[in-house]
Amino acid sequence: MKKKLLFNPKSRLADIIHLDYRLIPVIGRFGIEFGFGNKTIKEVCNNKGINVWFALEIINSYHDSNYFPKKSLQNFPAKLIIEYLSSTHNYYLKVKIPEIQEYIDKMEQNVKPENHKNITLLNGFFNEYKEELRLHLENEDQHVFPYILDIDNAMIRGEIDDELYKKILTDSIENYERSHDDAEVKLNDLKNLIIKFLPPVLCKELCQNLLIEIFRLEADIKNHTNIEDKVLIPKVKLMEKKLLEIRENKL
Amino acid sequence: MKTNYRIRKVVIASNNYIYTLGIKTILSVIGIKPELFDVESIDELKELLKEQALPLFLILNEDILNNNVEQTISEIKKISPDCPLILLKNSQTSIKANIKCINHNENQSEILKKLTNFFKEKNQKDSKKNQPILSDREKDVLKEVALGLANKEIADKLFISINTVITHRKNITEKLGIKTIAGLTVYAMLNNYIDPEKGNL
Repeated sequence: MKKKLLFNPKSRLADIIHLDYRLIPVIGRFGIEFGFGNKTIKEVCNNKGINVWFALEIINSYHDSNYFPKKSLQNFPAKLIIEYLSSTHNYYLKVKIPEIQEYIDKMEQNVKPENHKNITLLNGFFNEYKEELRLHLENEDQHVFPYILDIDNAMIRGEIDDELYKKILTDSIENYERSHDDAEVKLNDLKNLIIKFLPPVLCKELCQNLLIEIFRLEADIKNHTNIEDKVLIPKVKLMEKKLLEIRENKL
Repeated sequence: MKTNYRIRKVVIASNNYIYTLGIKTILSVIGIKPELFDVESIDELKELLKEQALPLFLILNEDILNNNVEQTISEIKKISPDCPLILLKNSQTSIKANIKCINHNENQSEILKKLTNFFKEKNQKDSKKNQPILSDREKDVLKEVALGLANKEIADKLFISINTVITHRKNITEKLGIKTIAGLTVYAMLNNYIDPEKGNL
């Protein structure tokens, strides 16, 4: 596979988007808006108070799936990683999922009667997926991420209270890792159901758009899961271990 | 229809040269380019059926059937049950068996229609045969999976071992590209393998 050129702080942000339009939502997640003229990514990030190296690592890992800078990403504060992951959660639930839902709904309204049943089936399947994804993301937002932030704070303070100590012993990140099931499998099934087995529909364009959006969502979630599994979780495990050591040394 | 121009093997069995020639002409009129076999007796036909690879389209004229029409036809069906068969007969001959017939006194358009359909029907079966996604047994397993049965339950119900169930499931997933049970259920419903109403029971 050809190695893709990686971006550096001096890359113009406009060039980055021209080279890889899939990065549009990623850049949006950092709170960057269009109209940045010929500014480099470093300039734009500095203006917005964004950590440019972190943004670059995310952009590059998204741009080239072979480039995955586990080690250097792990050096960034957990808070920064979590902020990014949370904003992707928002993007999925508030933007991407409703968008896909809208396509399916429109298709349901526009198919021939004999195909209506089939789209309804797809809709039901997607709703199941949606619910699973929502629960999964909510669990991360409400339980996993706060726990990681607690650990991060404890690391900064260099001390660990009893409550957190108990939690590390009984409900460490490993539990979450084990239950971290693959969110993409169902999306992949949905793709194949549409590509291979859905009888021809009248609204071809709608169906094509639907499929494209599913592919995009899938790619995005894949990158997201990578960051969680290969960066965040190993980082948290390391911190948990250190905190336990601190505790033992004190006793 | 495009597929009508496909070459196929056709047997014309008749003692009567005028019939044989007439059938050939009609076939070219309806756009069939056959690989033809002429036979003039029922024994010759049976020999041919045993030798030739399937499928053969059989066009039989009553005159070679030794007066015992029904029995002879059932003998032919025994040798090659999959061959489509059509019988040309006198309108007075009545036949109980369920086979396609053309009466000698039928008019042009009826004869053309019947022969065209004769070749077309087989054709549809052909195209289905060419792309079976799942085998019958895999379909059986899929239905049970879609209804939410566990491997052990499926094995008991279909009288096969758990390993066989697992193998079927692996093959199903590979062929369809669908991994989750929910996805397989949707597939089964899209294809009407299971009834959503019953599935909920």
